[in-house]
Amino acid sequence: MTAEEWQIVWFTAWVSALSTLAILPFGLALAWALARRDWPGKSLVETFVSLPLVMPPVATGLILLKILGRRGAIGGFLHNQLNLDIIFTWRAVLIALGVMSFPLLVHFARVAFEEVNPRLEQIARTLGASGWRVFFTITIPLAARGIIAGMILAFARALGEFGATIMVAGNIPGKTSTLSLSIFQDVQLGDDTHAFRLLGVSVVMAFVAVWCSQLLMRRKGKM
Amino acid sequence: MKHMKKVLVGALLLFAVIGIQAAEITVFAAASLTDSLKEIAADYEKSSGDKVTFNLGASSTLARQIDAGAPADIFFSADEAQMDGLAKQGLIDASTRKSRLGNSLVVVIPGDSTLQIQSAGDLTNAAVKQIALADPKAVPAGVYAKAWLTRQQLWPAIEPKVVPTENVRAALAAVESGNVELGVVYKTDAGISKMVKIAYEVPRADAPDISYPMALVKDSRQPEAAKKFLDYLSSKEAGQVFTRYGFLLRE
Amino acid sequence: MSLLLKNISLPLAHFTLEVDVDVQKHVTAVFGPSGAGKTSLLDLIAGLRAAQSVFIQLDDRVLTDTAKGLFVPTHQRGIGYVPQDLALFPHLSVRRNLLYGHKSGGPENPLFSLEHVIEVLEIEPLISRGVTELSGGEKQRVALARALLASPRLLLLDEPLASLDAPLKAKIIPYLARVRDEFQIPMLCVTHDRFEALTLADEIIVLVDGKVMQTGPVSEVFTRPANAEVARLVAVETLQPGNVTNVNEGLATVSVNCATLTALAPPTPSREVFVCIRGEDVILQRDAATTSSVRNRLPARIVALRAEGALVRVELDAGFPLFALVTRPACAELALREGESITALIKAPAIHLVPR
Repeated sequence: MTAEEWQIVWFTAWVSALSTLAILPFGLALAWALARRDWPGKSLVETFVSLPLVMPPVATGLILLKILGRRGAIGGFLHNQLNLDIIFTWRAVLIALGVMSFPLLVHFARVAFEEVNPRLEQIARTLGASGWRVFFTITIPLAARGIIAGMILAFARALGEFGATIMVAGNIPGKTSTLSLSIFQDVQLGDDTHAFRLLGVSVVMAFVAVWCSQLLMRRKGKM
Repeated sequence: MKHMKKVLVGALLLFAVIGIQAAEITVFAAASLTDSLKEIAADYEKSSGDKVTFNLGASSTLARQIDAGAPADIFFSADEAQMDGLAKQGLIDASTRKSRLGNSLVVVIPGDSTLQIQSAGDLTNAAVKQIALADPKAVPAGVYAKAWLTRQQLWPAIEPKVVPTENVRAALAAVESGNVELGVVYKTDAGISKMVKIAYEVPRADAPDISYPMALVKDSRQPEAAKKFLDYLSSKEAGQVFTRYGFLLRE
Repeated sequence: MSLLLKNISLPLAHFTLEVDVDVQKHVTAVFGPSGAGKTSLLDLIAGLRAAQSVFIQLDDRVLTDTAKGLFVPTHQRGIGYVPQDLALFPHLSVRRNLLYGHKSGGPENPLFSLEHVIEVLEIEPLISRGVTELSGGEKQRVALARALLASPRLLLLDEPLASLDAPLKAKIIPYLARVRDEFQIPMLCVTHDRFEALTLADEIIVLVDGKVMQTGPVSEVFTRPANAEVARLVAVETLQPGNVTNVNEGLATVSVNCATLTALAPPTPSREVFVCIRGEDVILQRDAATTSSVRNRLPARIVALRAEGALVRVELDAGFPLFALVTRPACAELALREGESITALIKAPAIHLVPR
């Protein structure tokens, strides 16, 4: 493996990790709301959240491209007011990975929250704990296993993301080149050996991630 | 009744003959040829009765596909290197190889941009943050652009700004969307887009030699029909269409 | 203390919970069959549930007033809650559970220290254990201690003894009594066990199908049920205070007013008891001299007769008020009449002794 290849692996790993952390607060908040509350239009929200999971990734990428581009609603504001570009930078990769892995995190976190006995939360409140304290000292610790499993799967999804990423970030060597984008390009250029090396790393990373989350989910049953 | 039978048989025979004669050929062609080739093919289909289908994209990608056994009858590349690659593998009929077309490079900017480009050196300005090029690693348009900028000793300064795209039309689209400050594409591409304008034309002296070779793919299933189309592509009528779109004729 | 529950109207699955009471006594039991809405009532008091129409005031503080749109959130009510399933936090040790609501040096100093509570409820050896390792009785005490350590101004207990077997119940009752006596915190206990209510409470609220049937001191409700519904629930016709004078070989001698009874010794030794005798367990006999296995043979005088369907309720004076339930034919056969003397027979195992 060359230094350039390690750079690709390293970039893929840290931007996937960062995207998972970035969606964590929103994902947990939404998962909790879906688990514990009811409101008109809830099923609409559930559907929207699941969309990136079922839509073709390039379609999601196209939507992101339109919104985050310099002429788009959000991208335009950022470019004009803050001189900040998203498209064709690592920030686009971060956003694409985050959007694509968000539904997975929300799903697993929601299931984890639903399995926490609400009575425990209620009793904690009678003991004088405010809503936030109950959330952080009771709900989250009891839902931790499921949440972590969700995070790992979101991370694994981010590792393998291609369709949306290539739309919004291109495949700029050293800047936005992820494992999957590199493998694609290598095949385009006929560099199969290179592609297979990266493929190997990609398989190993995905395998480890999914295996860890399986372990977590299985041990949860014992509790 | 006997009369009817004769007519029926005659009609059947006629259809059979026409059926045999109407061939369908597949042309793998560089993305920059999209509009001109489609027009030429439409004319050809009317006069010959054959059907022409296209697979358009980066010449490097197309060459890979032919290498992997994709069913192409004709390969129309945007540079000699890709054709050479296939020739080395014995995948094309060298006797049919011919290059008729040339092109020139231009620097394009979004239609509403006020950027001023007077020379190649202006590309290194701080105002130019991102430059769209067809992937300079293999796609001809990008390879040519890189050759030009390398000759000007500017490539190392410009390389960090490059956003490589899958083919030259994707580079054009990136400029059209406004997500990059400028792109380097063929003059013929700038011609078909209403959303970009040419900021700078690369002078013939600075530009590399751009050549569009075409050839019959050895494993073609319609070699006769394909050769016929290749001849048509070398004809005066085809030449007029190409010129209209902005291609240069090398003969 | 004073707990006002007014204008409460909460539609539940099969009925509407409607309560309008003023709870004054130290320990009050909310008594009724399962599904009567008792837990929902506790939830309303603790602020864990909302309803269209609720007014709850504890001492001088209004906690819920739907008419004014006032609702004090649960964590600011200072009301302790020991639910039926105890709800101990499984991911925390016993110690961390206990200290969860403990505010050391907070705006309200805890009424009691960790050490004192641990001592009273005898949970010292359990402190560093995990919650899942505890037995039923131990969990009960820890849940109780946890609620106490949050310095509640009122303690709600939902069926505190329901999930325990008889020996365990007997063991826990003294702890509850200790909590009542040592910590002096007003308690509201929900129970469907009449003996639990008897033992713990000063006052009782009888709740059936969401409606308050009767309130009042425990002994009064039990001896003078307001209607057939309550009587059926209470099902103890004779309830009298007594003193255990002697315990020998599992049998206790109890003096009730001037009568002496032999009963089975209660599991927890106690001098002061309530003597509970169901009307069905009292046999009336004309002839005093016949030998039988019955230990208690009391000469009595018939005070009143009241027909209740197929039965006749006989009020006797056997040195203390004693009630018997006999069938109409039996009443006719024995020719029972007010003012007459008769012998009342009660088997020793039929006399329940409940510590006072």
